[in-house]
Amino acid sequence: MIRLENVTKRYGSETVAVRDASFDVAKGDFVFLVGPSGSGKSTILRLVNRQERPERGDVWVAGQNVNDIPDSRVPFLRRSMGNVFQDYKLLTGKTVFENIAFALEVIGKPRHVIARQVPIVLDLVGLAGKEDRFPHQLSGGEQQRVSIARAFVNRPLILLADEPTGNLDPATGEGIMSLLDEINQTGTTVMMATHDHRVVNAMRRRVIQLDRGVIVRDQERGVYE
Amino acid sequence: MIARITYAFREMWASFRRNLTLTIAAILTSAIALLLVGTTLLIQRAFDNLLVQWKGDVALIVFVRSDATPEQIALIDESIRSAPTIIDVDKLEYLDKTQTYEEAKRIFAGDPVTLSLLTPENIPSEFKVVPITQDPALVRSLSEQYRSLPGVEDVALAEDEFEVISTLSRFVRTVTLVMSLVLLFVAVGLIWNTIRTAMFARRREIEVMKLVGATNWFIRIPFMLEGLLQGLIGAVLSCGGLWVLNSAWTSGVAGFKPGTGISSLVVPSGYLSGVMIVILLIGALAGAIGSAIAASRFLDV
Repeated sequence: MIRLENVTKRYGSETVAVRDASFDVAKGDFVFLVGPSGSGKSTILRLVNRQERPERGDVWVAGQNVNDIPDSRVPFLRRSMGNVFQDYKLLTGKTVFENIAFALEVIGKPRHVIARQVPIVLDLVGLAGKEDRFPHQLSGGEQQRVSIARAFVNRPLILLADEPTGNLDPATGEGIMSLLDEINQTGTTVMMATHDHRVVNAMRRRVIQLDRGVIVRDQERGVYE
Repeated sequence: MIARITYAFREMWASFRRNLTLTIAAILTSAIALLLVGTTLLIQRAFDNLLVQWKGDVALIVFVRSDATPEQIALIDESIRSAPTIIDVDKLEYLDKTQTYEEAKRIFAGDPVTLSLLTPENIPSEFKVVPITQDPALVRSLSEQYRSLPGVEDVALAEDEFEVISTLSRFVRTVTLVMSLVLLFVAVGLIWNTIRTAMFARRREIEVMKLVGATNWFIRIPFMLEGLLQGLIGAVLSCGGLWVLNSAWTSGVAGFKPGTGISSLVVPSGYLSGVMIVILLIGALAGAIGSAIAASRFLDV
């Protein structure tokens, strides 16, 4: 589903974000990208959703070489993946329902589809009944659930999560992890960047460890160390 | 498709209302700029009325009495042509009564009293004379000669009548044109700035849109519509202003003594509508261009 082949990415001429990285993630996998801040985790996610382009090497997503996709087709690539962030990136002026509906609206889904899909996904993330709340009326964990709902409402093949538990206390983070696990069970490939030892150790999934842009470990059912 | 269209219009309205101050500034600037563009066109047309009979370097017009015989007309023609070193014989033009009457309709457009006294029968015909010589004294002495010929009613010299107006017309045209171009440029800039501000205010929203796979056009179109609407509203305002100005001018001019020339400085209403359509087009175009540049440049926020 996601394959990196000898990918190198530098910011400017000095900073090497990712150096000669290669790995292959099968459909339905759950992968942790771990490592300290600045080790290149986020860059890999940004290479996969083509917010960045590699300097060398190829990034393959769902059988397509992301490098070969013309700019005008990038939106269609992104419709096959959902994004979850540490800071949720919710629109503060919109309600929970509107935030999720927005993701469908901007890709041109008709109103009746939106009216049907949003309640289903709200139910899935455990926020049924809170559709009319605004983000500031929700706890951090609830806001993250909204952002996961927004990422998942379009039933993407891939879910990319960048430190989704970074702003949450351990118990709330656990809830978010079991939600991501649940989404993974539906067949969605999940790639999550984190430096949260607890969640990695608790999940015992594949771990790709980065250190200053270099992959130093790629282990099935790994722990953080 | 319908979902996309309603989305675009809804977003346009929301953004329009959010940045009300900037929007009003952009609209007013484009209105004033377009008002100047329109005024330029109208002034030019009004002066053209006055200058229509002097087009093409005509310096001298010999008016021939309406009851002149063909022999008299031939004699006048002959004596004008007898001085090929002073006048340009090839450019000598004779307008018969019907042609002169057509011309008079424009000259006396704002002076229906005078026009009603003229008919294709009682109007003089005319010779239009283009001189070669640069010496105005020579042209003037020529005019005295023509005046004494039988059948000549009068001889008019451009120097006496319209040199000043023609210079004035050129000056006014240049000044208003430059001013309107500068203001139009400012209007495009202001529209560009409102759109940029609107996009900056919504950069988070745009980021999310890009990440969930909205196309650039989908994001861009509401902003472009917004700019287009600003230009268009400005144009509508300036059309209203132009109409008020033109009505006031036309009725003001009607009070002048007939035959002073000022009364021909009016514009037919058909021409006014044409100018209004041009202004609406320029307004829409300016708005679309300003916002398109902004929307393309700031889509990476």
